[in-house]
Amino acid sequence: MPLFLKERKNFTILIALILFHFLLISMQVPLGEKASLFEKTVFSVFSPLRHGILSFFKGIGNVWTNYFYLRNVKSQNKKMEEEIFFLRQENNLLRNAIQRFQSERELQEKLLEMHENILSAHVIGLDTDSYYKTVIINRGTLDGIKKNMIVLDKNGNLVGRIIEPISLKEARVQLITDDASGIGVFSQKKSVPGILTGDGEGQCLLKYVLATARSDEISEGEDIITSGYDRIYPPGIKAGKIVSITSDSSLHKHIVVDPYFDFHYLDQVAVIMKSPVEIFKD
Amino acid sequence: MRDFIKVAIGIIIAFLFYTIFSRVSPPVLLLFNVLSLVVIYFAVEKGEVFGSCLGAACGLIHDYFSFGVYGVGGLAKTATGYLAGYLSKKIDIGPPLRNFFFLAVLIIFELILWALLYFFIVPESINTGKGLIFIQPLSTAFLGSVVFFFIRKLTTKNKY
Repeated sequence: MPLFLKERKNFTILIALILFHFLLISMQVPLGEKASLFEKTVFSVFSPLRHGILSFFKGIGNVWTNYFYLRNVKSQNKKMEEEIFFLRQENNLLRNAIQRFQSERELQEKLLEMHENILSAHVIGLDTDSYYKTVIINRGTLDGIKKNMIVLDKNGNLVGRIIEPISLKEARVQLITDDASGIGVFSQKKSVPGILTGDGEGQCLLKYVLATARSDEISEGEDIITSGYDRIYPPGIKAGKIVSITSDSSLHKHIVVDPYFDFHYLDQVAVIMKSPVEIFKD
Repeated sequence: MRDFIKVAIGIIIAFLFYTIFSRVSPPVLLLFNVLSLVVIYFAVEKGEVFGSCLGAACGLIHDYFSFGVYGVGGLAKTATGYLAGYLSKKIDIGPPLRNFFFLAVLIIFELILWALLYFFIVPESINTGKGLIFIQPLSTAFLGSVVFFFIRKLTTKNKY
């Protein structure tokens, strides 16, 4: 085949591939938050591979530490860690619940119910292009994971919510530090309402607090807790602490919130196994 | 058949690299674009069509790990694969230093193309990893030229 014809054929293949990619991109655009079938398929194909690789390396590491090093101590530690994990969740719930429930019996009932609804999960992957947006956890539809379930850290602080795609054994979590997230919150002291969004760089911004709000209404060092107004996040969960408040010529204050969950130590998380609909029905 | 095994091994190594470092230390992934090295290596070896097809496949893996819009990474890698295959026929990229510059130019091209597409499709700022991403072309080119040098040495040795 003459060289120019061969080059023309190659170039045609390149154009076809580029068109394929444009088609692929445009397929995902109108769906917004909803994952496309293609996205779900790719996620379902690659996630078990990734899970397998990580489990393999974790397994090798475990063999070493369990059988050659601290055999008994390791298993004890793991058990204790698990207990501490649930105790922290319980403790956090108690703190919040004491303020909300009057009778002890009602509190006990709620505690038991909450215990049954907590699922422990591990973070197995981070967003490689933008760390503070999403993470992958090792729980999926087989474990009962559904969209919009709430994810907390070891200490019961808000981490984010489950978003699509969800595969059989993996799910994606949108972090509160993602600039595309939005959570209904208020300040703890005077209940000043606002919307908490991420700045995409590890911190959050409390938006729509009027510039006229006085310093005795909202101040630095104050806790930010979920309000439940968004009908996704249940009320009373600690999200972060205000680190700076500035006012410029705009209508709203510029408030920076430091999230309570530590991104660098985000290993074990708790998934609240109730969907927002069930939570708000209760 | 042997070529496909080689390609599969290349992709598996890159997939392992991404899986492990996306959990252990994500900034390393901003420093080294291993998937592009696989694409460029095989584009040089097998030509622009093979390079662009492999670019599409590796782009899919990149998009999976970046949780982004599928196709953005693929488009950039497809163009890079094609360009790598085409240019390698026109110029001699054998000497390590020339190989280094060739890789650096291709990675810069891919990075610019990817950033432009990302800006156009996802109206969000790109995570530069405190500037780490700007070193990516040099670090990846360095890694690539060293690895390619040893692969060539190994394959020439086996031939005789």
